[in-house]
Amino acid sequence: MTAVLRAEGLSKRFGGLKANDNVSLSLEKGQILGLIGPNGAGKSTCFAMLAGSIPPTSGRVFLGEQQITGLPAFRVARAGVVRTHQIVRPFANLTVIENCTVAAAQCSGRDDAGSRELAREMLRFVGLEKRRNGYPAGLTLAQRKRLEMARALSCAPKALLLDEVIAGVNPVEARDMVALIRRIRDEQGISILMTEHVMAAVMSLCEHVVVLDAGKLIAAGAPKEVVQNAAVIEAYLGKKHA
Amino acid sequence: MKRILPPWVRPRTLIAVAAAAAILAILPLVHGNRYWHNQLTETLLAIATALAWNWLGGYLGQVSFGHAAMFGLGGFIAGRMQVSLGVPMIAAWIVAGVIAGLYALVWGHPTLRLRGPYFSIATIGVGEATRLICTYWVWLTGGSSGMSLPVQVQLKYQLYWYALALALVALAVSYALRRSPLGLALLAIKSDVDAAGDVGVSAVRLQDLVLFLSGMTMGVCGGFYASYYSFIEPGDMFGFARSISFVLMGVIGGIGTIAGPAIGAVIFVLLRNSLIATYPQLYLGLYGLLLIFVILFEPLGLTGLYVRILRRARPDLGVTGMAAEESAVPATGAGAARVEQREAK
Repeated sequence: MTAVLRAEGLSKRFGGLKANDNVSLSLEKGQILGLIGPNGAGKSTCFAMLAGSIPPTSGRVFLGEQQITGLPAFRVARAGVVRTHQIVRPFANLTVIENCTVAAAQCSGRDDAGSRELAREMLRFVGLEKRRNGYPAGLTLAQRKRLEMARALSCAPKALLLDEVIAGVNPVEARDMVALIRRIRDEQGISILMTEHVMAAVMSLCEHVVVLDAGKLIAAGAPKEVVQNAAVIEAYLGKKHA
Repeated sequence: MKRILPPWVRPRTLIAVAAAAAILAILPLVHGNRYWHNQLTETLLAIATALAWNWLGGYLGQVSFGHAAMFGLGGFIAGRMQVSLGVPMIAAWIVAGVIAGLYALVWGHPTLRLRGPYFSIATIGVGEATRLICTYWVWLTGGSSGMSLPVQVQLKYQLYWYALALALVALAVSYALRRSPLGLALLAIKSDVDAAGDVGVSAVRLQDLVLFLSGMTMGVCGGFYASYYSFIEPGDMFGFARSISFVLMGVIGGIGTIAGPAIGAVIFVLLRNSLIATYPQLYLGLYGLLLIFVILFEPLGLTGLYVRILRRARPDLGVTGMAAEESAVPATGAGAARVEQREAK
């Protein structure tokens, strides 16, 4: 297998705090990779560095063979690594389809009409096509999370970074969301790196997970093995349970 | 028609604007009234400045209280080039415009990283600093006693058509910036600059481009102003009241709309001239009151009012186009984001 997105020894310091300490991971082609860990473990920092939102203190990020370390977010997105946000951030002043069109126009390399077409295709893919001419304010939270995904997909990414897209929605919506994530990989062939607190979703979606605690990688492997790992149980529940 | 024009240009709009321009172009030959001729020239200039301000303040939501800096700089550079170097008027305007645009980039490139009120505060500083520097830069501006250009009565009459051209160019840029694919990217930046970056929008480059266009147009307008009045002085050209007037025209007409600021400029010039004549001591205070009323009751100004009336009168039309503008008002956007956060928790 070949790595689509690879991080080598990523570290991020905020003053005296090491938010990420020597984190290496590799997202293989066609893989759904889970990045888990307790609150404050540094998952969001790791995401932000991979997506170019913040530059790493040290370490390198590769997209295929191309090094993308320290590029600004818009270049990383155009190169093919696109993220979604844990707290959804739709463009409130654009219609649902315009939200996706703007992404397609910037990243997909298509012309104006082509961008609109791609945007509509992606909205159909996530099940929001009927809502395309409304504004994000009229969507439910679950729908906004889908919009967030459709907007990212409109960039035609090689690697998609999903930041807790399931957390906060009801169980039925969560099940649909799991199915949607699987379809993104199966039907569009996009490799996915996801963080998630809903463990059931991680267990069913990810072939491989890596576990962060206090900024360090403490475990990696198949989800079933990882949840029995003593270090992981200790990170989540404390020492006496391990 | 469709072949020549990009798909985002509505032929109907083009025809309407062309018709209005044609009427305005032959109007002075019909009425022959010198007072109204001058009023119209002033109004057309005001329209150009209001639109140029709106590209930054409206489309990108970066409200500048310092745009008089580029206006004044353009005016004095164009004036100095004509008086001391004998450069032809139009060439002087263009060079002055480019320099004013570059000047805008010099202070704007770093300060545009600031958003909302922080950017606005920075522009107040820039405006005042520019005013002080230029007041003491006697070589360029003639200091507090100002600069005189040769008075040419015939030219002053002809400048009407130059002002018309200037206003039309500004309107065309307003239309293009908003309706072309670029317009969506600008709105995305206005809504959430970080999220825009995450989907590939280069906020820095686009903001710089818009700022340069805005500053350059301001500079050309300043050059026009110098030629038209034949006398300019720094206190007036760089004055805070002038910066405020750009904001006010935008707010009255409708911030962020394509043509709103142009309508705001018309109202503003009429209002200013009647207020100055009737209440010379009070008119600045009345500006302030007006600003408060518009922001309180109709943040989108006359454009918002028009849409509201249209919606009530013709519910069958289902006017929704302006919903974009309404949710673009920063307060609502932030409110929506807060609700979102609560839902996510």
